[in-house]
Amino acid sequence: MYRETGLVNSPPPSREEDAVLLGQIRKGEEQAMAALYDRYSKIVYSVALRVLRDPSAAEDVLQEIFMQIWRNPGGFEATRGSLGGWLAVVSRNRAIDALRRKRPMDPVDELTLPSGYDLANEAERNSMMEKTREVVRQLPLEQRKTLEMAFFDGLTHTEIAEMTGDPLGTVKTRIRSALMTLRKALTA
Amino acid sequence: MNTARHFEPEDLALFAMQLLAQDEAAAVAAHVEQCGACRQSLTEVQGDLAAYAHTVDLHTPPAEARERLLKQVAREKKTIPIDRVPEKQEPEQETIPLASYGRGLGHGAYLPEEDAPRHSPAGRVLPWLGWAAAAALAFAAGNLYQQRDALRSIIATQSSTMNQAVPGVAAARQVMEALTDPTAKRVVLNATPPEKPTPQGRATYVASRGTLIFVADNLEPLPPAKVYELWLIPASGAAPVPAGTFQPDAKGSASVLLPTLPKGVEAKAFGVTIEAEGGATKPTLPIILAGE
Repeated sequence: MYRETGLVNSPPPSREEDAVLLGQIRKGEEQAMAALYDRYSKIVYSVALRVLRDPSAAEDVLQEIFMQIWRNPGGFEATRGSLGGWLAVVSRNRAIDALRRKRPMDPVDELTLPSGYDLANEAERNSMMEKTREVVRQLPLEQRKTLEMAFFDGLTHTEIAEMTGDPLGTVKTRIRSALMTLRKALTA
Repeated sequence: MNTARHFEPEDLALFAMQLLAQDEAAAVAAHVEQCGACRQSLTEVQGDLAAYAHTVDLHTPPAEARERLLKQVAREKKTIPIDRVPEKQEPEQETIPLASYGRGLGHGAYLPEEDAPRHSPAGRVLPWLGWAAAAALAFAAGNLYQQRDALRSIIATQSSTMNQAVPGVAAARQVMEALTDPTAKRVVLNATPPEKPTPQGRATYVASRGTLIFVADNLEPLPPAKVYELWLIPASGAAPVPAGTFQPDAKGSASVLLPTLPKGVEAKAFGVTIEAEGGATKPTLPIILAGE
């Protein structure tokens, strides 16, 4: 029933295991890097591919993000929430940067996630993904399309307003409403 | 755009998705830096976006991508030991070459016990051979022990040197880059009104990197429990951003190097005020030095 989760032949990971892997990477252990890649490469690649629609460009984003972890494993801190969630958003942001053909914007890596989501835990991750997809499917069409255009296509609210003919405020409200609906469903 | 006026969640969502114009993004970044409530809202929005990102259809990256990454990881292996230096500081941890010395020969006093099982029937028949072998091993063990201590001492010294050098080198490189960056904003800060000797400050600032170097001379001595505080005045009109406190030396000189600042905040001006020890979140008039 569940779709794939992005985990490849690995036991259910946890946030603690992510921390252990990052500690090993800090010590220069290449095997830990391979394990981390196996754990999260699918979600990182899939998000980048969704944004860029170009496998080669998505692969470049994948490579860049994991090399960043190898070079600076301290760049992600456990206090910033789940590594899986962090990687998914960083992948989206880096892909958008690539789409705009510009240098990465620095605040990307400094993002902090709430502690509520444990995306490293496979069971919780499966459940969350299914729930999220269902909530998104049930969003009003305008909200769903607006959020999709903003997040996955990197269109600004002004660009979305021009394309859809909706007022700027309406576009912003739709994005906000969609995210709030998502949050309520996931924290319920 | 100051801490008193919070940003709407709609704007924080756009900020989190990097969809705001540069000046708007800078204003939000500067505000979030100082506002706990908006920082919390932003964190929640980031969580929503992380969850939303997981709605994508999953695709497996090509196998070659994994190989390519691991090859690159192996190629860059030599850069990693710099991060590993602190581990060598632990006195009880042995590096790989030393481990072989230590194993079973950690202390010469244990050697006769460890060596006991080696006594062969011939040793029983000719005890002097066993004693001679034990003496030779004890001598060798003593030598190895001394060598190990010497090596440990060298490693500890080198680790300490590297620990001191690595952050220093990184900071020096950052300072050099900022000083030579053609896009850096260079500002001379003068007293208002000028006095003699004229206190003066010079700020070098690279907005895109959030790098700031500030040097001041001829500063007046401070009253007890007071510090000078440097402020970055954003071009966006957002609230002044505290950029570090400092105290002048006996000659009235002081500097602020690489304070923690949000990146991408374009500066309209810089100012220096006198604040209570520990610094303030809002500048207290009068402004001692100012420059645009």
